[in-house]
Amino acid sequence: MRKLLSVGFVIALILAIAISGCAGTNKTTEPSTPPSEGAKEETKKVESKPNVVIYGYVSEMTTLDPSTEFSNSIIILPNVYECLVKYTPEGLKPWLATSWESNEDGTEWIFHLRKGVKFHSGNELTAEDVKWSIERTVRMGLGASFIWDPVESIEVVDDYTIKFKLKYPANLPLIASSSYGAYIMDSKLLSKIGDDETIADYLNKGHDAGSGPYTIEKYEPKTEVVLKKFDEYWGGWSDDQFDIAIIKIVPDASLREQMVASGEIHIARDLPLDDIPKLQQDPNVVVKQKSSYQELYAMLNTRKPPLDNKLVRQALSYAVPYEDIVKYVLHDYGKAAKGPIPPGMLGYFEDLKTYTYDPEKAKELLEQAGYPNGGFKLVLTYTNGDEAEAKVAEILKAEWGKLGIDVEIRPMNWEQQWALAKSDPMKAQDVFIFYWWPTYPTPYDFLFSMFHSEDEINFNLAYYSNPEFDELIDKAVALEGTNIEKAKDLYRKAEEILMEDAPAIFLYSPDDVYVIHKSVKGFEANPGYPQVVFFYDLRAT
Amino acid sequence: MRYRDYVIYRLILAVFVIFGVITVVFFISRMIPSDPAALWVGAHPTPEAIEKARKELHLDEPLLNQYLYYISSLLNGDLGVSIRTHNPVVDDIKSAFTATLELILFAELLALIVGIPLGVYSAVKKDSWVDNFSRIFAISGVSLPTFWFGIILQLAFFKYLQLLPLAGRVDSVILLEHPLEIITGLYLVDSLITGNIPVFVNALHHIILPALTLAMYPVGLITRQVRSMMVEVLQENYIKTAFAYGLPSRKIYFKYALKNAIAPALITVGLSVAYTLTGAFLTEIIFNWPGLGRYAAYSILSMDYPAVLGVTIVAATTYVIVNLVVDLIQVYLDPRIKL
Repeated sequence: MRKLLSVGFVIALILAIAISGCAGTNKTTEPSTPPSEGAKEETKKVESKPNVVIYGYVSEMTTLDPSTEFSNSIIILPNVYECLVKYTPEGLKPWLATSWESNEDGTEWIFHLRKGVKFHSGNELTAEDVKWSIERTVRMGLGASFIWDPVESIEVVDDYTIKFKLKYPANLPLIASSSYGAYIMDSKLLSKIGDDETIADYLNKGHDAGSGPYTIEKYEPKTEVVLKKFDEYWGGWSDDQFDIAIIKIVPDASLREQMVASGEIHIARDLPLDDIPKLQQDPNVVVKQKSSYQELYAMLNTRKPPLDNKLVRQALSYAVPYEDIVKYVLHDYGKAAKGPIPPGMLGYFEDLKTYTYDPEKAKELLEQAGYPNGGFKLVLTYTNGDEAEAKVAEILKAEWGKLGIDVEIRPMNWEQQWALAKSDPMKAQDVFIFYWWPTYPTPYDFLFSMFHSEDEINFNLAYYSNPEFDELIDKAVALEGTNIEKAKDLYRKAEEILMEDAPAIFLYSPDDVYVIHKSVKGFEANPGYPQVVFFYDLRAT
Repeated sequence: MRYRDYVIYRLILAVFVIFGVITVVFFISRMIPSDPAALWVGAHPTPEAIEKARKELHLDEPLLNQYLYYISSLLNGDLGVSIRTHNPVVDDIKSAFTATLELILFAELLALIVGIPLGVYSAVKKDSWVDNFSRIFAISGVSLPTFWFGIILQLAFFKYLQLLPLAGRVDSVILLEHPLEIITGLYLVDSLITGNIPVFVNALHHIILPALTLAMYPVGLITRQVRSMMVEVLQENYIKTAFAYGLPSRKIYFKYALKNAIAPALITVGLSVAYTLTGAFLTEIIFNWPGLGRYAAYSILSMDYPAVLGVTIVAATTYVIVNLVVDLIQVYLDPRIKL
């Protein structure tokens, strides 16, 4: 019998594990929810105090300095800090500024600030803070500080009024709503800390100096960020709002999917698109889908033969099965592009004359260009590891192959292909597939960055140059703040030129797809603040 | 060679190995075509911002200078700054390393608790069904892919039985309600010595599945090793004599036989720790364990080479140290080896 002791020990161990498992979950299991859901543990926590909402996010956080941050921590900043103006697809809304006005030509802007706004330190927000914050961002010259380029000087009129003088006309309220580089900080708190670098260190350690509804309670950039409600928030609080909001870093997509379905997290995005229909059947979650301001382009090398020939570029544009790509690559979670601007944004025109799939027309154009049976080779690069881009590349290769064009596909990492494109247009790739999204939602950010003439190539990866186009968009952006109809007209003309010249193929605009656990409601994606969940807007069910 | 000289000799060799690894990895990572400066700046950088970053990161200097710069800061304990998170790599690795260490230690502990008795019992009951079962168990443990086993455990214990959590190290909410004072960085240890029972229980639940996944390989190894050594020892005359005297069999197996069989098994444990470090890379991704493996994987994917270098140095050093310790113990126990 004694010989059996060792086996007995093993069995006892396994039992101990199992029992400890049971004991642990029993504690939090309540009969109020059906036993079939793994969600019971979390749902219980949501119902009890404190109210907690958890957002499962794909990447680690980066820096936390609102003046310089230009990456993933965007999902924290607008919950902790606030801008003067809030962007929504329906128009600009008051945020820290309650109203604003400009002189006739849009070179002078006055913002009236909300009264009684408190920073998390207890200091009151005044015009001094606005001036200090923006001047610091400009002075540091990092991240998205370029958005303030039009600003010549900032003047404090009184505690609640601030005046911007511009070098050239611009839509300053839109700039002030930017998701990067436009947050207002507590200058009384920060200026005591030291110089700009010392302040950056202080902030990057997880301190905050904002006036937003949440403060940073715990900052572990690789695992989780815990935000706690700021009791004295000017917007006030109701009982069903969340006291605690957690951003949990879960890089693995299938894990995020399991976690949101079981209620371990409440909000997830970037899940495998093939699985979304399955999740739509799941009673535990709600799938929210909305147009993003992101668009996929295939930039065509307009300097190197044969793509320096407009007819060839047009032919390629006709030989793309736009609708099939949306169906096959995006599983219909997105739209085929109508020109360079994504749907919902200023400068998007539903009726813009764009290319549609027409292989016959493509053949004709190639013949006119002197390539009746194709017979040339194109090098196409896309970002390695991006499955959607890989599928698009395969489809283009197959379709253009039908025209006798040999496409060599080269998956490369982003910096690598970008470096290749910037080196020498004559040696660069012929087709460059990549995404664009705006720093703040103006069509100028798209049209200027990718198609305005550039002396030194940065993002104009088609090497496109057309003075008439340049002039139109430069004029349009100046009018954006004062005469929106005129600005639209000019943008439209510019986009028509772009469609005719075909320096790029406008592929599609993917939707933002969020999966929300049923215990949370009130979520709406705001394409002006990509990937951001405004926790203040959420309610517990 | 005296034992002390042998230790010094091996230490010097170890330093050379680690130095070699650093050099090779440094140059390979710089040869990969990538622009860390662009990565550093963010989404849509301006050319000026990239140029500024290039200077800041010393990327505008010759490769040799960059190497010397790296080595000199390394000697000061500075592994550089992560291109992706802008954090000092040392800080990132410190917290990640304790998470991995906790996981590996727990897994090895499980492996010992399960592996040794199972090995002993298989040897005692040689060729019985228990022995056959343990053989299948051990071989599957060694040969089945870690990720597959991890996913099966998740399905069984999270999805169907709902006994254990899916992923992570501890529930955020528990940690908020019962803040944990970090002393060693090992949650189980810290919560125990500070008497934070809710966090201890929660962390224990979280560690079981990943640790089981990770333990599969060493369990197999230890079981087989203990079994074969035990079979050998049980043939010895002194064991037969002990039986002849009518000593209690448990005492014979666990006191006399196991004592002689355990030394080689412990060496195996040591070596399996080094192997487990590799296994942790996959396990940590499946279970979202914020350790070195997950950090390394995502650093590699985003071409964050200061982080990749940092992880390589830590992993290589751990590997070398574990091997060194195992060798030194072996030589100490069996002086014939150092010849």
